[in-house]
Amino acid sequence: MAKEIHDVVMVGAGPAALSAAIYTTREDIDTILFEKGVIGGLAAVTDWVDNYPGFPKGIAGLDLADGLREQAERFGADIRLGEVMSIAEEDGLKKLVTTDGDIYAKAVLIATGSDYKKLGIPGEETFYARGVHYCATCDGAFYRDKRLVVSGGGNSALQESFFLTRFAAHIDLLVRSDHMRASEILQQELEKYKDKITVHFNTTTDEIVGGADNKVTKVIGTDKTTGKKVDFAVDGIFVFIGLLPNTQFLKGSDVGLDSIGMIKTNEFLETSMPGVFAAGDVRSGATMQIASATGEGATAALMMRKHLEELERTRSTT
Amino acid sequence: MVKKITIFTTNTCAYCVMVKRWLKAKGHDYEEVNLDQYPDRQQEAYEMSGQLSVPVTVITKKDDSKEIVVGYNLAKLAPAVT
Repeated sequence: MAKEIHDVVMVGAGPAALSAAIYTTREDIDTILFEKGVIGGLAAVTDWVDNYPGFPKGIAGLDLADGLREQAERFGADIRLGEVMSIAEEDGLKKLVTTDGDIYAKAVLIATGSDYKKLGIPGEETFYARGVHYCATCDGAFYRDKRLVVSGGGNSALQESFFLTRFAAHIDLLVRSDHMRASEILQQELEKYKDKITVHFNTTTDEIVGGADNKVTKVIGTDKTTGKKVDFAVDGIFVFIGLLPNTQFLKGSDVGLDSIGMIKTNEFLETSMPGVFAAGDVRSGATMQIASATGEGATAALMMRKHLEELERTRSTT
Repeated sequence: MVKKITIFTTNTCAYCVMVKRWLKAKGHDYEEVNLDQYPDRQQEAYEMSGQLSVPVTVITKKDDSKEIVVGYNLAKLAPAVT
């Protein structure tokens, strides 16, 4: 059987890969994308995006993701719903083992982004999706007039808390340190929600407890200033404590990772495996912004074009 | 063999969009129950899935047995609709 060979295969279909695909497909570079989760990545599950240039009134994350998808497909990007399990070099090509079978590429872009971190505390696994959640836009609607804890102090924790106030009667926001990592503008916006959101600084999230009906009944934290345990009687907890890169599938490959598992690249966004590039939230040094991801996607596309041209030149002179 | 597919969704759920897109791509018809529109049906979704989460896809087979898939989980969804 003949090998399925493409000019470019992109792993992931978030903002970085979709932007890269707009560039490559507009130049008639044969491009396919593999997405095992949501097209648009974390941007698609973000309620509202206020800082993406060109949308003065902001835009729903889902709409932004859909616009990027539509634009990439307009030029011929082939987005496949499936998973890439490994990448290796074979006969001058990159061999990708996927749920659609083996696929070969002349250049690869890894733009698998990141997922929300878990707390790793008692009760978190037991009550997963029965009171423990990581996606407000997916599961928030189940908490109409209920009380919630949100764990985290960054941009996601605040933005998702604001979204959850559409449903929840009250939110206790547990922030581990004495300040928030969230942007100044979001912290100012918090003032608007002071009747619904109570911030608890210096408070760790230690345990999630449930009742006989297998649903969450309380979250136990510790006030680090007093060392005393604090009980929060709530119906659920949403966790937004940071991101983990989706690079598990690269274990054993030639793609070098940094100490926290993010992909190391050079100034051309090329990884330690020649012809394999990385962009967006999965790249070491990424700023975790949608605007940066789309910019990196465009840069990676131009670098891949250069790589394909060099391959072509080498082949024609040998 | 599949007799009927029902998906419980909400307006803001990106994973719901993915399940609908995948079913459509595979040529399956489905009925959608939007829980933002019909919040009184949340309990029904919870009782079927045991989870406070969407999407919940209910696949009713020809023999009226039901298979429930929570989330956008192709590893479970694909065999369930064949």
